[in-house]
Amino acid sequence: MSRWPRSVYEVGNEPDPRFSLANERTFLAWLRTSLALMAAGVGFAALGPVGDVLDLAVAVALLVTGVACSLSALQHWIACERALRLGEPLPSPWMAAVLGVGLAVTGVLAAILVITR
Amino acid sequence: MRRHPWDPGLQVERTALAWMRTCLSMIVVALIAFRFAAHTSLAAALALAAVVVPMALVSLRLAWRRYRTSDANLTSGKRLPDGTLPLAVTIVTALTGALGLVYVLVDR
Repeated sequence: MSRWPRSVYEVGNEPDPRFSLANERTFLAWLRTSLALMAAGVGFAALGPVGDVLDLAVAVALLVTGVACSLSALQHWIACERALRLGEPLPSPWMAAVLGVGLAVTGVLAAILVITR
Repeated sequence: MRRHPWDPGLQVERTALAWMRTCLSMIVVALIAFRFAAHTSLAAALALAAVVVPMALVSLRLAWRRYRTSDANLTSGKRLPDGTLPLAVTIVTALTGALGLVYVLVDR
């Protein structure tokens, strides 16, 4: 029976299972991060300051980032698993940088909204 | 039958717990969204809860099975399960976000 994804399991050698398990836990931690972003987005939309365009923008930004995080989590898991099998260095977690900057901007925006209304 | 775990660092068990946390978070997020959406559109709220919660429960069940498989495979020198369940939970998570987005955009 072939294992999914083929791009991972058709290359290299079986890595130490502990590394694969650690990779899996990192993937799951990213999924929880994306779920937290989604909860924040829905919460902000429901409980946000007034309901104008700006706080809709914050809510949408949080939800879109959440969806992007979940997709990039899987992409990163695949890339890491591949690197582990090929004995290559792990790929850089580029989504971490995007998330860091994005959350800082969203946080400042949300703070302005909450303080000024 | 009593036996030693495959890894003294309990990697398999910790991974299983990470799966549980993730699936439970999914249920919590769906219920939060349900709670908020129910105020304005009960139909949308029910749709969201009716789609995400059962999927999360199925994921929880499959994650438990994955733990049993991983443990059994590793103790008998076989390979870990593949990426099918990671793919499935990614889809459910992205779907949760998409439904949240629909609620936020439609709801005003």
